Amino acid sequence: MKRTVFPLLFALAAVPAYAGIPAEQEDCLGCHADPDQVFELPSGEKLSLFVEQEAFAASVHGQSLRCTECHTDKTSDHATGELKFKTRREVTVAYYEQCKGCHFANYTKTLDGVHFAVMAKGNDKAALCVDCHGAHDISRPGQPRTRTSKMCAGCHAAEAEVFAKSVHGRAVDTNADVPVCTDCHRAHDTTDPRDGALAARTPEICGRCHTDEKLMSKYGLSHRVVDTYLADFHGMAATLQKGEKRGPGVRLAAVCTDCHGVHDIQKSDDPNSMVMSANLQKTCAQCHEGASESFPKAWLSHYEPTPTKAPIVWAVQLFYKLMIPFMVGGLTLQIALHLWRVVVNR
Amino acid sequence: MSTYIVRWNLQQRIEHFVTMVTFAALCLTGLPQKFYQAGWAQTVVSGLGGIDSVRWIHRGFGILLAISTVVHFANAIVVMLSKKIGFTMVPTKKDFEDAVQQLKYYLGMTDKHPQYDRYTYKEKFEYWGLVVGNVIMVLTGFILFFPIPFASLVPGEIIPAARVAHSNEGLMAFLVIAIWHIFNAHLNPDVFPFDTSIFTGKVSRERMVHEHPLELARLEGGMPPDVHGHGEHGHGGKRDVG
Repeated sequence: MKRTVFPLLFALAAVPAYAGIPAEQEDCLGCHADPDQVFELPSGEKLSLFVEQEAFAASVHGQSLRCTECHTDKTSDHATGELKFKTRREVTVAYYEQCKGCHFANYTKTLDGVHFAVMAKGNDKAALCVDCHGAHDISRPGQPRTRTSKMCAGCHAAEAEVFAKSVHGRAVDTNADVPVCTDCHRAHDTTDPRDGALAARTPEICGRCHTDEKLMSKYGLSHRVVDTYLADFHGMAATLQKGEKRGPGVRLAAVCTDCHGVHDIQKSDDPNSMVMSANLQKTCAQCHEGASESFPKAWLSHYEPTPTKAPIVWAVQLFYKLMIPFMVGGLTLQIALHLWRVVVNR
Repeated sequence: MSTYIVRWNLQQRIEHFVTMVTFAALCLTGLPQKFYQAGWAQTVVSGLGGIDSVRWIHRGFGILLAISTVVHFANAIVVMLSKKIGFTMVPTKKDFEDAVQQLKYYLGMTDKHPQYDRYTYKEKFEYWGLVVGNVIMVLTGFILFFPIPFASLVPGEIIPAARVAHSNEGLMAFLVIAIWHIFNAHLNPDVFPFDTSIFTGKVSRERMVHEHPLELARLEGGMPPDVHGHGEHGHGGKRDVG
């Protein structure tokens, strides 16, 4: 028995991984293996009917799904030479709902996403599952990590180009510490960035990395940036404006991206950085019209007041730290003594 | 029938009322800005129509407080120059002696209660605390209201320093009023539950005997104010008001 099983196992191991995948159990690949096979749609677009078996076999579904599990409407006699679709996009949209059969949680999330909202308004270019994940060549999400940004760049080329030049974008190919698109924008319930809701969340979003002491010390950066932001004017106002939407007459307090930029964030000592000291007056003036040269000094640049950094603020803080307990304690003590004497007098 | 002394004239009663209302409004709109991360603060802010409207209410009452402070000073200077009243609010050596004796009394080291004139050291302390506090709050408040013009006049660092001062001075004022003033005007066994004199202007003669014997002596005996601490109870010239 053993003598026959081992050579068989070796033989199995030697053949390519796609041999004997479930998709082959159906006869689909018999027809769809021809790379030149195309269907001309009424729009004039050519719809390739070719399925690259090796790519599918290597995909995340290769070892588990048969063709008709997604292409549920296809029977062995569907090759009538007719298709109900007029454009390639109609084909994609028609298959959009197939994923939810298995991936219901992520499908539900997409209903809260900006792409779904745009699609519901009639823009069929908005991203569907396969636009980001691929169709027959679906890989594990984020593998490789840079694939995410490349997928987004397919539609959002202008943003991708700006991001590529930023402090994060320049490192994205070699460094897993920097964020890719979905780290900030989310993958399925992608937030609409236009109404300010995403901006309002930036202290939390940026804070996920920028409050991580270990990670920040690797780059010589402060991990107290969110605390110092929240302790100052903008952080206070932004906290109390939670839930407010950008709109006419509504001026929201500055969040991370208002000063540091969005896709174009640079190191603070980069000459192009919005928060570089030479550029700060202009950055402040975006909201504080007429800001003078000394106005940026009103902002402590994420420093906590110390005798060397912001000595006046530090001294005022110390004064009240001593004065308030002294005052309150003294008065309370006098009240206590007063009441004690009242009791004694009785 | 009780006998009353008019302790507060109409102007003083109005000044107290304005200060009380503006102080309460400023605390209500200011403290949630200091404790903005607390749930109650966010409830107050949204109840008042959001942070922007809270800020405008705060600034409005702040301006009212500034005006009332200026009016109070201007009036005090005019009245003092016209010599209608003396410098009754100015702290004197006797106030320090009174404070020491009062504390000794509380501690049971003496049974002799200090004899007070028109204002006790406690009242003077609270008055000057309010005056100094008002000046700090109004100055720092205007710096925060107009940071851009101020930043071109003074170093930029003054603005965050003003914020720290405004925020802490405000909290201290709130605590002093909440603890000290509420005790003296409401919870103090002598006046419990409510010292109404600042609203009616009237204080009973018995209370005057007890709390401001020297002033009563001056009023009734027509003695000059320089008899601090050594006045005798005069007779006659009683002012019956109530």
